[in-house]
Amino acid sequence: MKPLTINFRSKAAQTIGDEQVQNSLEHVYTGFYRGRLNAAADTHNWEELRTKGKAIKDHTIAHLDHYLEMFSEKVEENGGNVFFADNADEARQYITELATDRDIETVIKSKSMVSEEMALAENMNESGFETIETDLGEYIIQLAGETPYHLIAPAVHKSRKDVAELLDKDFADGDRVPDATELTMLARKQLRDVFARADMSVTGVNFAVAESGSIVLVTNEGNGRMSTSVPRVHVAVMGMEKIIPSIQDLSTMLRILIRSATGQRISTYVTMVNGPKTPDEEEGPEEFHVVIMNNGRHKLLKDPFLRESLNCIRCGACLNACPVYRKVGGHAYGWVYPGPIGAIVTPVITGLKDANNLPAASSLCGACHEACPVKINIPRMLLELRHKTAEGSSDPNERTSKFAERAIWKAWRTGMMGRGRFDWGARLAYLLMRPFSINGWIKKAPPPISGWTLSRDFPLIAGESLKSRLNRRRKKDI
Amino acid sequence: MSETSNNNLGTRSVTLFATCMVDQISPSVGESTVEVLEHLGLDVKFLDEQTCCGQPAFNSGFRSESEPVAQRFLELFEKVDGPIIVPSGSCAAMVRNFYADLFRHDKGLVERARTLSERLYEFTEFIHRFFGSDAITGICDDRVTYHKCCHLLREVGIDEQPIEMLSNIEGLKMVQMNRSDVCCGFGGAFSVKMPDISSAILDEKLDNIEATKANRVVAGDIGCIFQIQGGLRRRGSTTRVLHLAEILSESIRNAKTGKVTE
Amino acid sequence: MTAKVRFINQVTKALGRTKIIRPKENYATAIFEDRNLASSKAAQALEDAKAMTTTLIDQMVESADEAGWKVHRTDNFEESAELIVSICETHRAKFVLRSAHSVLTDIPLDSALSASGTVLEITEHSSKGSNQQIEKSKSAAFNADVGITGVDYAIAETGTVVLHPRAGVSRLLSLAPPTHIAVLRPGDVLASLDELFAIQRGDFLNGKLQGSMNLISGPSKTADIEGTTVTGIHGPLEVHLIIVENDQY
Repeated sequence: MKPLTINFRSKAAQTIGDEQVQNSLEHVYTGFYRGRLNAAADTHNWEELRTKGKAIKDHTIAHLDHYLEMFSEKVEENGGNVFFADNADEARQYITELATDRDIETVIKSKSMVSEEMALAENMNESGFETIETDLGEYIIQLAGETPYHLIAPAVHKSRKDVAELLDKDFADGDRVPDATELTMLARKQLRDVFARADMSVTGVNFAVAESGSIVLVTNEGNGRMSTSVPRVHVAVMGMEKIIPSIQDLSTMLRILIRSATGQRISTYVTMVNGPKTPDEEEGPEEFHVVIMNNGRHKLLKDPFLRESLNCIRCGACLNACPVYRKVGGHAYGWVYPGPIGAIVTPVITGLKDANNLPAASSLCGACHEACPVKINIPRMLLELRHKTAEGSSDPNERTSKFAERAIWKAWRTGMMGRGRFDWGARLAYLLMRPFSINGWIKKAPPPISGWTLSRDFPLIAGESLKSRLNRRRKKDI
Repeated sequence: MSETSNNNLGTRSVTLFATCMVDQISPSVGESTVEVLEHLGLDVKFLDEQTCCGQPAFNSGFRSESEPVAQRFLELFEKVDGPIIVPSGSCAAMVRNFYADLFRHDKGLVERARTLSERLYEFTEFIHRFFGSDAITGICDDRVTYHKCCHLLREVGIDEQPIEMLSNIEGLKMVQMNRSDVCCGFGGAFSVKMPDISSAILDEKLDNIEATKANRVVAGDIGCIFQIQGGLRRRGSTTRVLHLAEILSESIRNAKTGKVTE
Repeated sequence: MTAKVRFINQVTKALGRTKIIRPKENYATAIFEDRNLASSKAAQALEDAKAMTTTLIDQMVESADEAGWKVHRTDNFEESAELIVSICETHRAKFVLRSAHSVLTDIPLDSALSASGTVLEITEHSSKGSNQQIEKSKSAAFNADVGITGVDYAIAETGTVVLHPRAGVSRLLSLAPPTHIAVLRPGDVLASLDELFAIQRGDFLNGKLQGSMNLISGPSKTADIEGTTVTGIHGPLEVHLIIVENDQY
């Protein structure tokens, strides 16, 4: 998928001004965010589970090469095929060639963010394979020709009316808007036929178990199960970080993933696939392929201060917790991964230069860190990326700060390096600002703080510093 | 200095780190902090040379500008012994949690920052830990709602303690605001760099505040106070936003004079 | 150099190493627990399920209900059979499929369904063979009104029914028909996901891991339209859990 990170500011502004989308985004808080809080409160050892989940992921990522090798050997032992793709093009090409070679007509796709990196459905359709998204949210998004808005709720920004128009082309403006149940049943009907005739499926992977070569899929809808039951070829695509070492680790990882994602104790369906169908089964894929993709993830792995981002299990909890995401929405982030985790992963994978606004668009409130089931310290990594864009600390080409900005911070430093200058600077600012103030507040300020006064009054610098006031007070006491 | 201290602190002498914004924009918060600490029987020292902890530049990514300022802070406050009190969750977090990253190329500095951090406390945290949340009584007749500033809540770990402390103020009516733990949208330079996003977040906060019909909002960080107060003023609201130290010192004064003043 | 070697080399390099090193033992993951330990944990999990059946059943009933199962407790085989027939009748089921789980022959199901009159066809959904037969079994599953299965394990923590697809237990039987009825024997309820995966790991290390596994917790659902939860998007709209509390189990 072509990154459009450069449009962050304009996309964000557009979403902030869109009342309908703002209303839809409310659900992210009232539904998902609250759901996670309730689920956590309901789990007596929640913090222990998070700690364990983090430790499992830390360990795995620190030995990712070892576990990737183990996993791929096991998949092959189980009768599956593994394809290692350095990038999205290679992955897409492998899948398309496989479909051609196996005379595939209809491909059903389950939700997979990695497949979005490849823009797989779009490309497969262009290559002549009927490729249908089967997660309801993804299906809606595919009909709309858009990209997912959220990691687990791709169509969270769409209203019922939007959905009605997309599902039923005869739906007219004056008609009664069907309720969610009617719309879901309509989609069920449309997708049933597709399931019945599908000969290939592409799914994501929630966890890949190294020791047994298993993949685990988590869905509420059942499309993941359809994908592993009906078609004769099943292709599972995964980012290389999706590994966990042991089958037994699944109990911890599933618990924290599902509770953090939807607030459920478990999703309706958890499917563990240990290879193609067994010889005595009549249904199930005869072929099982796993595509493991890097696509720039090694850059995250290489940076010791960003590596932790590969612990991400894509639950979406950081998005739900993020006050910025809840205002700017998913499309502003300009690539596959939105929200706080996207603000780290996206710039590193697609290029920090165009994406420099992503790490900047944060109040560093830390709600994402608090929500993360594997305790990824997202604010800390946002600060790392800001350091790169401000000063080009890792690569001079990544520096996107403007000259004026750099000059301001230099001046700031000078001012802070001595108390005399500090006081002198403050008094100067006070004198300059005072004529424009009313009752100690300013309604319209010049750059660089003009942005502030668009919606807020700005406080006037004090006429006298605390130091001076306290000294006067002390003299009086004596 | 009205009361003898009844604490487990082991000293009567503390040092105030006012923070740059309190020092130059809102000195009344600093004075209130001193008054409350003195009310608890403490001697409060103020180092005249203090400026800033370095956080603004650090948060904007300009670490090379931040570092000398942070180092200056460290050297200055290393010169005094005893607890250092900061009326800001954000600046406390900078020293305690983020200096380790800022100084990471120099193990010696990281260690010095860690040592200093052991005796650096945010204002609420300090009182709660050494004096208890019922240490301060007073009188005020305000309808108050409390906003949980992000760094105070998530980096320092002060959650409901200020509400507990305020429950000892006679006449004060506490009203819970919806989503009190959601960010106000300040975020330092973010508020100026991305004003539309910052304001959209603030709008939600202001709606939640106005729904409480409180005439006072209490918060623990001066940046958030400016953001919320600036927004309320723009809406034409007369609701005032105070630092916890301000409402405490005012309530103590009210109790002493025996009357409630506005 | 193969794609795999090149790929893994790049990972090794990004980790700051020149070759793959074996990880040191780590408490967080179970991978360092050997076969003996894993086997004894698995055996313990199965023993606990038998020893604490009463408690686990009560817990299962509660969490299954929460997950959206319609839970029924029956005292004997006949009652179970009658209940299944009445569910089929309620749905005016014409075509019912069932799995080869032994619990479904313990209860007099086939005869009860035949006798009910509304049910036209009963198929034991297990036959291997040609492509044609595969297609036939697929379309049977998509056309069935009700799918009836036993339960390989249940999980009290989450209200989950666990099924291992195999000969006689098809993948689609519990998924494609609009109604799924799962029949549970009390001794098969495990306390939590920990016990389930302990058993799976024990099976794996002893070379007995099954081809796949489905955890089913309630009816198919989605909340993709305006956050409203709707059941029955792709899988069953209605799921029943029948617990046969017969003395023989």
